Amino acid sequence: MIYNKIAFQADPFSYDLVFDDRITLVGGDSGTGKTVLYDMLEDLKQTEEYSAIKLFNYKSEDVFERLKQCRNNFIVIDNADILIDDEIRRFINFEFSNQYMLFLRNCDGLNVSDRSFKVMKFERNMITLEEEL
Amino acid sequence: MIDIYTEKTGLKDWIIKNDLFFNLNTSNEEMSDYEIALIKQVDDAILTSDKHIETKYGLGTIRNLSSGCKTLLNIVKHPEKVVCVEECGPNVLKVIFAMDKIKIYMSRPSLVDIPDDAIIRFNDTDVVTGSTGYNTWWSKEYERREANDL
Repeated sequence: MIYNKIAFQADPFSYDLVFDDRITLVGGDSGTGKTVLYDMLEDLKQTEEYSAIKLFNYKSEDVFERLKQCRNNFIVIDNADILIDDEIRRFINFEFSNQYMLFLRNCDGLNVSDRSFKVMKFERNMITLEEEL
Repeated sequence: MIDIYTEKTGLKDWIIKNDLFFNLNTSNEEMSDYEIALIKQVDDAILTSDKHIETKYGLGTIRNLSSGCKTLLNIVKHPEKVVCVEECGPNVLKVIFAMDKIKIYMSRPSLVDIPDDAIIRFNDTDVVTGSTGYNTWWSKEYERREANDL
């Protein structure tokens, strides 16, 4: 695991994200703040502590080419349902040096476990990842 | 009737990148009271007349809506297009399947509440009714895919 936990303050919110698997799929309802988190991570990855974060979304160019250069990174993919194909799924499965947080609903072809499935929980300005039931 | 397409072909007018299409097109269109209510329902966001939004995450513009909410508005504003719903959460899918005369793209089934009287047509051919018809169609489709190594 690159990060067991990502925690930071973004007033008025606090993020406390705990990861239990090398691959985390964040699903749940629309409008729960996944893209807001992605935008925060764009700033956070500029810090030394979180410099291993690599971000991809629908605006990213040459996703697979850039992705396959990644080693020992914490890779976050927003809009993953429309971005990742079988080739990328294979890379995610077999490039074990990386950790992944995917904003994705379709887990077909990914080596995930029960602990991979999370939803964002917002309570009193504290944002966490909870197991998806 | 809801038209569902499960494979992309060149014959239709598609919206796959919903964020992109919304940011460049739909967001510039006038929003009706119905659409403002949908924004409130899905994202719990208040849309102002000058296209700003207010949510629990703060102030922004209409382009800060969630991908699911943008997808829903793309469908409402462009019913002639086939809109990919694979990024939509259960809260948005529930709204979509309560609608009529829309065209959507999904390559796999989603867990969704479907009204018993919803009429659904798959790939311009198979017409089914309600969640029972929806689930039965997908079961057969997966048998077909398995038989064809897809």
